[in-house]
Amino acid sequence: MSDYLFPPSPPASVAVAGSTQRFPVRRIYCAGQNYVAHALEMGGDPSKQELFFFDKPADAVVADGARLPMPPATDHLSPEIELAVAIGEGGSGSAIAKETALAHVFGYAAAFDLTRRDMQARLKKMGVAYDLAKAFDRSCPVGAIRPAAEIGHPRKGRIWLAVNGEVRQDSNIDDLIYDVPTIIAGLSAMVELKPGDLILTGTPAGVSRVVKGDRVEGGIEGVGTVTITVL
Amino acid sequence: MTEYVFAPRERPSVPVAGTDRRFPVRRVYCVGRNYAEHAREMGGDPAREPPFFFSKPADALVAGGGEAPFPPATNDVHHEVELVVALGKGGADIAVDQALAHVYGYAVGIDLTRRDLQAAAKKAGRPWETAKGFDASAPIGAIAPASRVGHPAKAAIRLKVNGAVRQSSDISRMIWSVAETLSHLSGLFRLEAGDLVFTGTPEGVGPVRRGDALEAGVEGIGEVKLRIV
Repeated sequence: MSDYLFPPSPPASVAVAGSTQRFPVRRIYCAGQNYVAHALEMGGDPSKQELFFFDKPADAVVADGARLPMPPATDHLSPEIELAVAIGEGGSGSAIAKETALAHVFGYAAAFDLTRRDMQARLKKMGVAYDLAKAFDRSCPVGAIRPAAEIGHPRKGRIWLAVNGEVRQDSNIDDLIYDVPTIIAGLSAMVELKPGDLILTGTPAGVSRVVKGDRVEGGIEGVGTVTITVL
Repeated sequence: MTEYVFAPRERPSVPVAGTDRRFPVRRVYCVGRNYAEHAREMGGDPAREPPFFFSKPADALVAGGGEAPFPPATNDVHHEVELVVALGKGGADIAVDQALAHVYGYAVGIDLTRRDLQAAAKKAGRPWETAKGFDASAPIGAIAPASRVGHPAKAAIRLKVNGAVRQSSDISRMIWSVAETLSHLSGLFRLEAGDLVFTGTPEGVGPVRRGDALEAGVEGIGEVKLRIV
């Protein structure tokens, strides 16, 4: 046991549905532009779309139901509903093939990838990293994780997001360009996956701006929901 | 006491010079293009572009140096030596003249970069994480407490590969000083004790290969040695 200069903050963690135990988060990866209609609305070309990833800090996770202050340095906060995959067993490179990838999954959750869209546009234009647009504090609200042991590995199901009751994103996870096994195998060729990793799999079309006072609710059929209020 | 479905991993930490105690790491931030000559060699214009930030996972650190594997999915890994700031105190919207009071100490780090992936990401307007935030991408030497070394504003910074000097500059040539960087960053994120900030690299970045021995140092702060395996 290391002797630290000061106590480290407790590990970030997410609730597990039907359990008092929590899922400790190691890293958060996000797949970009993984639904055709969203790639188009972001100016991408889905026919040439390659799988790519960005990260959020593990302690950017926020619990379901959170009341979140508007983040600094933006006038355009945009929540993106995503299917999140919780990794229970690690591996890397050739150790994870598409065919065996699902064996590494502990469970699934509904999550928001909160984005400072104005900053993202500016950074993209500069051709530089856009961590500032994606990886800010409290940028990753996550609903309770449903263990795969209980719900299996969903391949179909409505994915939706509503702001103050008005539906803005409405699609189906079977519209993913790269499915969950492909994402896991692709990511593990770049970095070693370990238990505690969360992978957000991309958002469908219909992303929009939210403002102070908005209640944002999203869900994935068969998996769960996640809700936040912007203060 | 929180119960977990499996044991959380131990917090990444960095040795502190002159003590057995370790600095527990929360986040690793990096400043992009903070030396004019490096901004130019990367095709940027230091006069017109504000510095920007990216991150690495805390457990991408190779604390104390040693060995780092040549990473997968690349044919072009570059070394970037950097002065690293270790924060002992957190805060948001920190004023420039208060910023150094948040610093616990300083270390020497190497920002290893998959340059080919970075070039592709830049071209496509895509994020840099796979280029910058890969496993073992952040070798770092022991932290020297500011209580002992002060807050250096001028010091030689250099990196050698197999004994040949590849990067040689002075931290006084940073575009944004440590205090300015911390102040700016704290307007974008709430900084906390345990955060590390890599402050950018000077010119002379170049490729490393399996078997290469890297030695990086900042005068008066320390050094880090790394072998690519």
